[in-house]
Amino acid sequence: MGNLYYNKTAQWIAYAAFFAALAIIPMRIDDDFLLNQLATYGVYGLLALSISLCWGFGGILNLGQGIAFGLGAYGMAMTMQMQSQTVENPIPPIMLNNGLDYLPYLWWPFQNTASGLIFALGIPTLFCAVFGRIMFKARVSGAFFAIMTLAMLSAFYTIILDQQAYTGGVNGITPPSPLRLGSFEIDPYSSVGYWVVFFALLIATVVAKLITQSSFGLVTQAIRDDAERVRFLGYSVSGYETVIYSISGFIAAIAGCLWVMLVQYVSPAQLDVGFSISMVIWAAIGGRMSLIGSIIGAFVIQGGQSYLGDAFLSTWLLFLGGFFILVVRFLPNGLASLVEAGLGLIATKSKTATSHEPNGAKPFPAE
Amino acid sequence: MEFGSVLNALILGLSIASIWLIAALGLTIIYGAAGVINMAHGALIMLGAYSAYMLQHYVGVPYLLCIPASFVIVAVVGLILERGLIQYLYNRPLDTLLATYGVALVLVQGVRLIFGSDPKYLAVPEIFSSSFMIGSVSISTFRVIVLAVTALLVFGIWVLFYKTRFGVQVRAVMQNKEMAASFGINASRVYMLTFALGAGLAGVAGSLFGVLNIVLPTMGDSYVVQAFLMVVVGGGSLAGTIIASFASGELQSMFAFFTNDTFARFLIFVLIVVFLRFKPQGLFAKAGVRR
Amino acid sequence: MEFSRRKLLKTSLAASAAIGMPHLWIPGSSEAWGATLKKGEPLKVGVLFSLTGALAVPEEDSTLVLQYAFDEINKAGGVGGVPVEPIIVDAKSDFSVYSEKTKELMLREKVIALFACYTSASRKAILPTVMQRDHLLYYPTCYEGAECTQNAICTGPLANQHSKDLIPYMVENFGKKVFFVGSNYVWPKESNKNAKIWLEKAGGELLGEEYIPLGSSEFGPVLNKIRDAKPNFIFSTVVGASDIAFHKQFKQEGFKVDQMPIASLTTGEIETRAMGPEFGAGHFLSAPYFQSLDNPTNQKFVEGFLKSKYGKNGVTHYNMEETYLSAYVFKAGFEKAAAAVGFENVTPRAIRDHSAGVRIGDDISPEGEVWIDENNFNTWLKPKIGQCQGDGTFKVVKSADAQVAPDPFSIYPDLGVCTKDGLKAPDGKIRKSVI
Repeated sequence: MGNLYYNKTAQWIAYAAFFAALAIIPMRIDDDFLLNQLATYGVYGLLALSISLCWGFGGILNLGQGIAFGLGAYGMAMTMQMQSQTVENPIPPIMLNNGLDYLPYLWWPFQNTASGLIFALGIPTLFCAVFGRIMFKARVSGAFFAIMTLAMLSAFYTIILDQQAYTGGVNGITPPSPLRLGSFEIDPYSSVGYWVVFFALLIATVVAKLITQSSFGLVTQAIRDDAERVRFLGYSVSGYETVIYSISGFIAAIAGCLWVMLVQYVSPAQLDVGFSISMVIWAAIGGRMSLIGSIIGAFVIQGGQSYLGDAFLSTWLLFLGGFFILVVRFLPNGLASLVEAGLGLIATKSKTATSHEPNGAKPFPAE
Repeated sequence: MEFGSVLNALILGLSIASIWLIAALGLTIIYGAAGVINMAHGALIMLGAYSAYMLQHYVGVPYLLCIPASFVIVAVVGLILERGLIQYLYNRPLDTLLATYGVALVLVQGVRLIFGSDPKYLAVPEIFSSSFMIGSVSISTFRVIVLAVTALLVFGIWVLFYKTRFGVQVRAVMQNKEMAASFGINASRVYMLTFALGAGLAGVAGSLFGVLNIVLPTMGDSYVVQAFLMVVVGGGSLAGTIIASFASGELQSMFAFFTNDTFARFLIFVLIVVFLRFKPQGLFAKAGVRR
Repeated sequence: MEFSRRKLLKTSLAASAAIGMPHLWIPGSSEAWGATLKKGEPLKVGVLFSLTGALAVPEEDSTLVLQYAFDEINKAGGVGGVPVEPIIVDAKSDFSVYSEKTKELMLREKVIALFACYTSASRKAILPTVMQRDHLLYYPTCYEGAECTQNAICTGPLANQHSKDLIPYMVENFGKKVFFVGSNYVWPKESNKNAKIWLEKAGGELLGEEYIPLGSSEFGPVLNKIRDAKPNFIFSTVVGASDIAFHKQFKQEGFKVDQMPIASLTTGEIETRAMGPEFGAGHFLSAPYFQSLDNPTNQKFVEGFLKSKYGKNGVTHYNMEETYLSAYVFKAGFEKAAAAVGFENVTPRAIRDHSAGVRIGDDISPEGEVWIDENNFNTWLKPKIGQCQGDGTFKVVKSADAQVAPDPFSIYPDLGVCTKDGLKAPDGKIRKSVI
């Protein structure tokens, strides 16, 4: 038996245990705030998952994931805003306050909840597909691509801020009531909101896990390790990169929608450079090569921010920065690599005790 | 529209270009020589401004002397940073990007703890906060000083890289580290010194920006993305960064003249993305060099 | 689909007549807050400002001055006979943290009221939560208005109060031609709409209107446009670090303050100190309060605050004074509510409803007597015009004769009038919770 860390069954068991733990929480805890807070962490977990997929498995460092997240969030906020407009009062206040007395075309798809949701998820994904296609076709990669996403993020941030009549400018959009699906209202402070996020995270994680184990996932991982070699083997590297980048964007867009569902608010701050980089930090600290590691990274860092951050106030960022430097310096694969090393230690010990198999080449990390 | 206004806008563009260039100089050198994307660059700019503030406020050093002093102080910080962290990460470019972001977090928060989060104030001689007229064009003295310092630094870097033994070594290491090492060049020392030099240049920029703008722990943030784009568009070479800064500075000024500042910024970002679509390696990338 | 949605909306509207917002989980309005007060236990209030990050510059002062105000109130016997216990939380200059911490303060700490936010964006981030729980937000700074909620009390000047005197004063003293410069966001644009109305009345002429990206420090292009336009004065709503860069570059580009002064709604004592008084001197500011106001209450406030352990930043300014007032508005509103419904039955909403018309006399208010409007729950106050002096303090050159009424919808008469139950449209319909 080799390192349990690479054992697929063991991995699935770990995932099941993680989600079982998350599922018990709302049954045990009767605290509206905690549920809402954990649901928000779940959204951050989705974001970390999307980064892990794109960066850990695809080798594409994306410092502009805020674009997909933000566009999804804006789409959702617009949908929810339109839900609260009536026939007598058809135009949202942000437009009236900016001298628009008609509903701009940009807002038309969001008048209907179903089409609003489709656009909220579709536009960010489409953006990733087009932008990714252009960039990867030109063989922009590595740090260059990271900087380009940063530039694109800044461009979106600037234009959303500027087009106040359509986007609410820096104040953003504040839908006055919770999301309604049909005649059902999703109250963000109840366990319903929590369960919605829970299942989104569960499904996204399982799908992402299956992707990484599929032949498609193996090719993207090969591209991550040596794009040139894969290209010589006849694969369309830019095609694979575009697809994994778009899938990652789609997950981030879902996260954006859920986030607005929980907080009923969106502003350009969701497209801030710092927020996008913190998504990368979650994945890096948790372990970008491990989906579940990244998700736990988001929970740990955000939890620390909420609880330790208050206890240490001004020194918290100092800790976070220092911790982050140490992880990058000594644990490039994040905290998950500690688990890997730990399990590896057990494996070698049991090996020396039971058999004398030659210590073969390290198996290719499927996780 | 008068000719004078357009001329004013063109001259202003030159000044904006010099501001962007001086912000990007240190980054260019570090990226060009060592391939490190230094996310702490903004924090180093901020440190430059605070060094000048500290020297002026607590020691009473005249402002003009604060500029070279900031260079030295921030260069020392850069040296420590390189020895303590960056040197272990040279073969992991994406990780240097992340690690230096962590460094930026620590530096910004550290400065905030020491100096507080309220803005600080750099006093300059009265002559610096005035302007003069050439024909119908009004020119701010301080903008001329920024331009002059930038030109001086560019010249200095050019001399250092192309006219000295150290420069030959740096260029050799840039082209092929292993080959250079086999000729007896101490690559590790070259990296260390270029990193310190780049950090020091950020310090100079900071001591100037503190006068133009405001001294705050977060002041570097607004320059850093811009500076990166200049380096990326320039392809990591000094000449490339100069031309990229010049072009974007003029374009920013002209776009702002015909539309408004916000839209001008957006246009620049989009133009850069389009440009890199067609020249992904930047303006003057050395052929065959892959990072 | 369309029909059922509308029907649902109507039923919810009907339900919301009794409570703030319709929710399946709120059986009645007292449960919305989810706690009851006990005599003898301290009153918990939430204080939610940024102590770290970019917004810490103004917001740290807000936290400090509130701590000072509550200490002062507690020393004098507390609110309704019990001491106030401020729960101080750092919002880290992050709007999602504002939202999260608001929930924590309301749901977990069960505070009775919230003192929070400096920027409009953060206010918009927390208002949905505050409205859903039918809670109470004290928003203690100037803002653009155009909101009509049943859950907020604002103690700063609205856009319609701010520039009422400033524009005519500048036109009279410097000339008719003006150029508007602002940061590119909602408040400057709204303030400029108001300013245009006063400008028209004063017979002034608007030469241009420019907006700078938030946080930008490059004013060259704008100053060139101003130089070409040759106005008599500049009306500025540039905020934060940009404002300091603007004043510095104004002088560095050779503009003369006596020929073309900047009339600002934001450049107060902190800003002039940060830019250096030589860059601020001669410019004008409209605000209800200046540190240099010459009256015994203000002297007591300034001396007391600066000497206290909260006065470490060494300055008082309009935003702090408005925040200070909000603590006393809370005290007065709470005591009125307690007298009406009994101490144990006070809810955030009851405090809000009983705050209508609450007056803070000039024995407490450093800026002079103010009171809360009975309809829109903003503050009646006297805007004043100060000119920055060589030492960074302001000299009051004009003070309004009487308190000016706040009107959050002054530039949108078509939308209606804000009443205590909601926005009353011209056709008589009332819409609640308009944000």
